[in-house]
Parts: sequence; C-alpha cells; structure tokens
Amino acid sequence: MSAPTGYMRQLMAAAVLLALTACTTTKVASLEEPAAAPMTGQTNDPAPGFETVAAGSEEDFILNVGRRIYFKQDSATLDSVAMATLDNQAIWLNKNPTWLLKLQGFADDSGSASQMETLSQKRADAAMAYLVSKGVDARRMWAKGYGNDREVRDCTERSCKVQNRRVVTNLRSQPDAA
Amino acid sequence: MPWTRRNIVLGGLALLGAGAVQKPAFAAASSNFAGTAVDNGVTFQKTNFAKIDKKWHRQVVKYFSSEPIGTVVVDTRHHFLYVIMENKTAIRYGVGVGREGFKWFGRATIDAKSLWPRWTPPPEMRKRHPELPEFVAGGSPKNPLGPRAMYLHRDGVDTGYRFHGTLEPWSIGKDASSGCIRMFNEDAIDLYQRCPIGTAVQVLPHIADQAESAAQVSQITPVE
Repeated sequence: MSAPTGYMRQLMAAAVLLALTACTTTKVASLEEPAAAPMTGQTNDPAPGFETVAAGSEEDFILNVGRRIYFKQDSATLDSVAMATLDNQAIWLNKNPTWLLKLQGFADDSGSASQMETLSQKRADAAMAYLVSKGVDARRMWAKGYGNDREVRDCTERSCKVQNRRVVTNLRSQPDAA
Repeated sequence: MPWTRRNIVLGGLALLGAGAVQKPAFAAASSNFAGTAVDNGVTFQKTNFAKIDKKWHRQVVKYFSSEPIGTVVVDTRHHFLYVIMENKTAIRYGVGVGREGFKWFGRATIDAKSLWPRWTPPPEMRKRHPELPEFVAGGSPKNPLGPRAMYLHRDGVDTGYRFHGTLEPWSIGKDASSGCIRMFNEDAIDLYQRCPIGTAVQVLPHIADQAESAAQVSQITPVE
C-alpha cells in the first residue's frame, strides 16, 4: 500500500500549496473584487457563477444592476448617471435586505496620495449618503476610500483615469474583520 | 468625413425601407415586444426577451484577452459587444452591426452620450427622401436611436459611429445597420450606465483569445 500512500502525500502537499495560494489571492482580491478562481475554458463560456443567475444573488446584482459609478476629475459629486445607477442599487438592496455592502472609493486625480485618499473617501461617503436617502439602512453599509490603490493601468491616460475615479458597491454577507 | 455621412444616409434609408415595405412583417413581429416601461419620462416598448435567442441576452462570460478593465470591445463577426470586467470576465451584449460594405474597425473613445437623443437625418438623405422630417424628436417611437446614444470619437474627431438602441430588436445578431452598433433598448440603457465619458472602444473584425493577435487586428485602420 506504499504507492497509494505516496500518492496521497503528494495530493496533500498539493492541497496545502493550493490553500496557501488561495489565501494570498483572497487577501489581495478582497480589497475590491471577489476572490478569483483560476480560470480555465474559453472566451464566451459562462463566467463562474453565471451559468444561471438567480434573482437576489450577487451575480444578479453584477449583471442587472451594476456595481460601479464614476466621477469627474477632482470631484466627489454624484452626476445624473451615477445617481441612476445608485437608484437601481437602492431598489435592488431594498428588495434583498440580507445583503450588506461595502462602498469602496478610488481616486486617480491630481494631488498627493493623501489627497487622493481623502477624495476617494468622499466619493464612497457620497454614494453611501445617497443610498441612505433612498431608504437603504445605513447599518448595512460601510464606506472606505482607497486613494489610488488598484489602479486600472495599461490604457491611454484618459481612459485609465476615468476608470480609476470610481466607487464600487461590493456585496458582503458579513462585516469586515476589524 | 463625407463617407461617414453617406453611411448614415444609407442606414436611414434602410430603416425607412423596412418601415415602408415590410408592414406585414412588422405586424407579425409585434411579439418582439412585451409591455412598456418608462425611462426618464419616456414610455417605450419593452423587448420580449422570451422570443430572443439566449445567445443575444446580456450575460457575464469568460474573456481571455488582455484589454484593461472598462474597455468596450466589439466583435463584429460574431455580433457581440463586451465590457471588460475583472478576473478575465466580461459582460457581453448581442448587437447588430454594419452590413457588408458598411463595417468600420478601429480604436475610438466614447466622447459624448445622450438620453433619448434627437435624430437628425443628414441633408443628403433628405434630398433623396424629401418626405423625411428635418429631425425626429428624442423619445419619439419612430426614432431609430432609441433611448441612448454613445458617440464614438477618434483623436477628438467624431467618427460618425455610435452605440445606440433600436426599433428592430430582431436585427440584433445581424448585419443590418449602416455601421452603427445597435443594441436592445434595455441594453443600450445598461451600457450607458457602465461607460463613463473617455471609455476606450475597440471595434474588431473578431476577437482573438490571444492578446498578440487581438493587438494585430486592432491595428487595422478604418476602411472605405
């Protein structure tokens, strides 16, 4: 029975390695995005979790509501497009009251790193205040600014910057650990 | 860009033709709509997605090319428009694209966008079709742009091409337009929310899973 045992050992070693990798991935990804499973398959296959989309699921939120709103340069003011997305978010959140949400602000504008952090926090706060005004319980939400972390790169400066002036509404099932 | 205008003219003509000649077809296609919805004060007919091949429904798919998050990529041959998301995924929409001879490829940015845009048939078109009005008001049930238009510019110059809605949901998945990318009205509304001014756009003959070949294809300069 030594052969299967050796095989099992290898398997366990692989599992440990996988677990370690998974931990690292989760840590990085939890800043904004759900943890990414290593992806196989082909372009146009349904994305993981999107084979069938149940109403009230996170996938439903991503596909039919949208998580992101965008801001003009150096501004934390919600424009009509951002408000329209937040309106849709509020309707969905009021229909699906068990979800918590973390509003994550980003900024990639002119100014120092600390100014960017302040601006990104203002953006996240503005989104949260708007959702509260639309009936979403403030106790379900928390807002955090990440400054110019997690920039979208490798595009023209303008196209990248517009992506980086954003707030992402991230659904959570429990509060962040302190 | 005179050729651009001509394309718009011909697209409008095709639309006119469809309305005028194919009345019975239009009546038969009434099941393409299901009830009404209100958007920014305008009542419009909802697309009956139960009648539409699932392939053309908005969905989240795997996407293995390397475009940055937020980029819009159009696969002309396969009639798909993608908005690139995180983790090798994209939101995919079915679209109608230009007929043979009316296709356009290249890079652009969304530099302007509008709600229930007014449609102004270009002068050349009105010369050939004097019965056409000077413009079709935004929100009119006869306005071919539908609820949204996103205007594609290149180096600050209007290419004449747009993403917009449609009066003809059955034309999604087909080569039907004069080069504009048409979408279900619900999808045009959705895309508008997801694309800030400045969004990068790539209109490709088709996408390639390999970044290298995708980059090669996107080097093609506008044709015609």
